[in-house]
Amino acid sequence: MPAVVVLENVSKHYTTVKGHEVQAVRNVSLSVQPGETVAIVGPSGCGKSTLLRLIAGVEGPSGGSIRRETAGGHFIVGYVFQDSSLMRWRTVYDNIKLPLEVVKKRDLGNVDRLIDLIGMKGFERSYPIELSGGMQRRVSIARAFVHEPSIVLMDEPFTGVDELTKEALQHELGNLIRTLHVTALLVTHDIEEAVFLSDRIFVMSPRPGAIVEEVPVNLPSARDPSVRSSLEFFAAASKVRAKLLELHAMRVDAAT
Amino acid sequence: MGGIGRTTRLSLPGLAAYGLPLVSFVVGVVLWQLLVALFRIPAYLFPSPSAIIQGFFAGRIDWVQQTSITLNEAVTGALIGIVVGFAIAVVITLSATLRQILMPYIVALQVLPKVAIAPIIYILLGFSNTSRVLLIVILTFFPIVINVSTGLTDVDRNLIYLLQSLRASRATIFFKVRLPNSLPYFFDGLKIAVSGALVGAIVAEFVSSNSGLGFLILNSQYTFNTVAAFGAFAILTVLGLLLYAAVIVLARQLMPWYRSG
Repeated sequence: MPAVVVLENVSKHYTTVKGHEVQAVRNVSLSVQPGETVAIVGPSGCGKSTLLRLIAGVEGPSGGSIRRETAGGHFIVGYVFQDSSLMRWRTVYDNIKLPLEVVKKRDLGNVDRLIDLIGMKGFERSYPIELSGGMQRRVSIARAFVHEPSIVLMDEPFTGVDELTKEALQHELGNLIRTLHVTALLVTHDIEEAVFLSDRIFVMSPRPGAIVEEVPVNLPSARDPSVRSSLEFFAAASKVRAKLLELHAMRVDAAT
Repeated sequence: MGGIGRTTRLSLPGLAAYGLPLVSFVVGVVLWQLLVALFRIPAYLFPSPSAIIQGFFAGRIDWVQQTSITLNEAVTGALIGIVVGFAIAVVITLSATLRQILMPYIVALQVLPKVAIAPIIYILLGFSNTSRVLLIVILTFFPIVINVSTGLTDVDRNLIYLLQSLRASRATIFFKVRLPNSLPYFFDGLKIAVSGALVGAIVAEFVSSNSGLGFLILNSQYTFNTVAAFGAFAILTVLGLLLYAAVIVLARQLMPWYRSG
């Protein structure tokens, strides 16, 4: 099967208000295969969010090419953001329904199915202001899956959530990805989150972000919280951490 | 979660929050009455609360008619101002060019104390109801323009990205994101606009009118009928409160998802 999305030597630079050229992403090449979850780990401000916007087609690359698989009709993304970004004027049900409205899908059966899957039955008519932070994240995840996207893009989906809630949400997200056979690209600075959720991890350097290492995660696809204490989990996490530390040291050296 | 909020509101500290202002008001009115009596201040200088109430029911002034004239002007002007303000906000949000063209006029009009132009409006449009309403429109449309255009622009970037990634048109983004996002801003503007509408109605009647509460106050000055003027103040205070409360009730009805503060 062809890759869902292929990036070849993709670069992106911006011109700041003062007229300076800033390079956000440099020569990134990667591909995501159908059904796999790929994580990109890197320090804050390394251009990870930019990369997601390029793949979503919200922004165009300055150089290189992005190929999107459109065999099964349209290439369409699901999007999960750092801070839920729900529409506060819409109920849980209507927030999840939004992508179906925009792509003009009549069948709303998926909305109820996802509300069920994220365990939010009985909260359909609640507004975001009435929900806990964890519940808001669940709704934003359901919104990203409801229209059966070609790929789900997740931009640090659990930033600012307390540790225990975060682990529970990561477990639920992993189950959801498997149940719905979703292809996903996760961007995060949380090493454990990347290892727990993905099949492959790309390590990104500080700005301008470039991919410097690929780390495979040798864990079974069905994962429960107990894998966090397995040797394979530890091995993958250590490898990513070592690479990030090396990059950090290089940056400190360059600065001094 | 709402239950906890509601019970605490009815508890002792909640009652104190409403009780103390009420006590303060009653004590103030009583003191006013006593001081006027103690220093034998004549009613034409500074009437006592009881004199105001007596004057109010003396039947020399048709309060209902005078109030309805002023209220009618204020509401008509405010409604036009709101519609015009909303339309201008939408236009300057959608078109950067039109924003740049209109902005100097909008800013100039805002910086100018608008009641200053009242006498000149009458030169342009004559001593008519139209002139009075126009002054109110000018006073009310500006807070709507500023608040609504902020609400249409000050949108969660991620929501725009989300809709763009789904290939939504600009119109879809406008109706699904920008417009609902502007509602709380609109109601904040509306609170300013309704008090502006009363100011406009009174100033317009000061400048030219032979009826309404503003005319009544001005006429009271000529005839030393201070009691009548204070009656008008009382009505204006109540009107202002009612209009403000109406905005808050409407906002709660239309935005059950919104809690300010």
